[in-house]
Amino acid sequence: MQKKSSRKKNTSPSGSNRVLPAVFILLSVLLMILPLESPVMSAKALLSYIFVPQIRAAHGAVEYADGVNNVVRALLDTHRENERLKEEMAQLRLENAQAREVFLENERLSAALHLQSPRIWGGIWAKTAYREPTQWNSVVIDKGTLEGVEERAAVIAQKDGQPVLAGVVLEAQEHTAKVLLLRDEDFAAAVYASPSGEEGLLVGAGAADMKMQYLPFLSDIEEGEKVYTSSSSGLFPAGILVGEVTKVGDEEGLHSSLTARVEPAADASAIRELFVLTKPTEKKK
Amino acid sequence: MSDTLKIFILFIAATVLHWTFMTIFGGVGISLNVMLVFACAVCAFMKPQYGYPAAFVCGLFLDFFGVKLFGNNALTFTLCACMVYGLEKRLDFEAPVPQMLGVFGISVFAVLFNVALLKIFTGFSAWTGFWPFVAGTVLNALLAPAVFWAVRRTCCKEKNS
Repeated sequence: MQKKSSRKKNTSPSGSNRVLPAVFILLSVLLMILPLESPVMSAKALLSYIFVPQIRAAHGAVEYADGVNNVVRALLDTHRENERLKEEMAQLRLENAQAREVFLENERLSAALHLQSPRIWGGIWAKTAYREPTQWNSVVIDKGTLEGVEERAAVIAQKDGQPVLAGVVLEAQEHTAKVLLLRDEDFAAAVYASPSGEEGLLVGAGAADMKMQYLPFLSDIEEGEKVYTSSSSGLFPAGILVGEVTKVGDEEGLHSSLTARVEPAADASAIRELFVLTKPTEKKK
Repeated sequence: MSDTLKIFILFIAATVLHWTFMTIFGGVGISLNVMLVFACAVCAFMKPQYGYPAAFVCGLFLDFFGVKLFGNNALTFTLCACMVYGLEKRLDFEAPVPQMLGVFGISVFAVLFNVALLKIFTGFSAWTGFWPFVAGTVLNALLAPAVFWAVRRTCCKEKNS
């Protein structure tokens, strides 16, 4: 109490101490009862502007607190994902070792039968650098000839962790390259449908699904079959997923062969990162 | 630094804190009144020459963001300041428990008085329910020791020595 008395001075009832509350009470009552709508509104508007930074600071503090919560949650999620990916990587390493053995065996058998040596995919990752806002038929990537990108090189995208064909390099500059996407009408690739095994020529059809042409009339191809690049393709390595058959036949006019419609697996609007295949390396014996 | 400037800086901090808590608890209907706790703290540790104007300005600050009536919070806060100066001989505001008890009682009075003023002058019922009322007053009381500590440390440092 000694501290308190030293801290507060003149707290004992005095004239001024009685006058002050009375003045403020009177002022408050007057503010309530007097018709001060217009000046009060003006003052309110003015003071609202003065207090806006504080309100913003308060909202910023709340948002920051929310942000911390989200960051912690994201970190925990990342940690869990990291653990899962580590396990997945260990499993993949094992599978890779097994695949290497199979590959070597395949190489030995190919050599024994005088077949062409298997080609190994090699390439570089590139990011989409530019995209025509109105056109989804081509994209420009941020890698060019100096990084090893060549014209007519196959371009692969990722969908649900699986490589899918995205297009082909149309033009290559030093640091950029233009990629022709599947839907472009100038795009063409030799493909086969699985499991029917029917081969055809896949061509772009703009906004519509792609056309798989030159299928035999008595073809067993059915809707829902997966379409992969064929080994007869000169540009693309065999076995890359291209899309799914959505419709068979029903083409107008007379045709000497059957045409199927194929929906590309790579979504042109969602392409961000692309893997551009560089020259395949020949495995030496 | 002069006491007026210190109180002004604390006032700014209290407004930020007030809006922060309003944003957090407003969603569930609880109105935690940091400005009231701050006004009580200033009155508890400062002379009436500072306490009454501070309480009045704090109330006026809230009035500027009200829409129904102007001056009701200023009147309520001024009366609360009178209560703090009246209670200081009975309650030792140096200790946390009296601080919490004092703020709890004053918060109850402030809410009820404010509701009554709005009902009388505008016919509008500002009563949000019993549990939000209890939660708001209890949270005010819980917040009191921190606010009182901040005001005491800032405004009464040199007087402690």
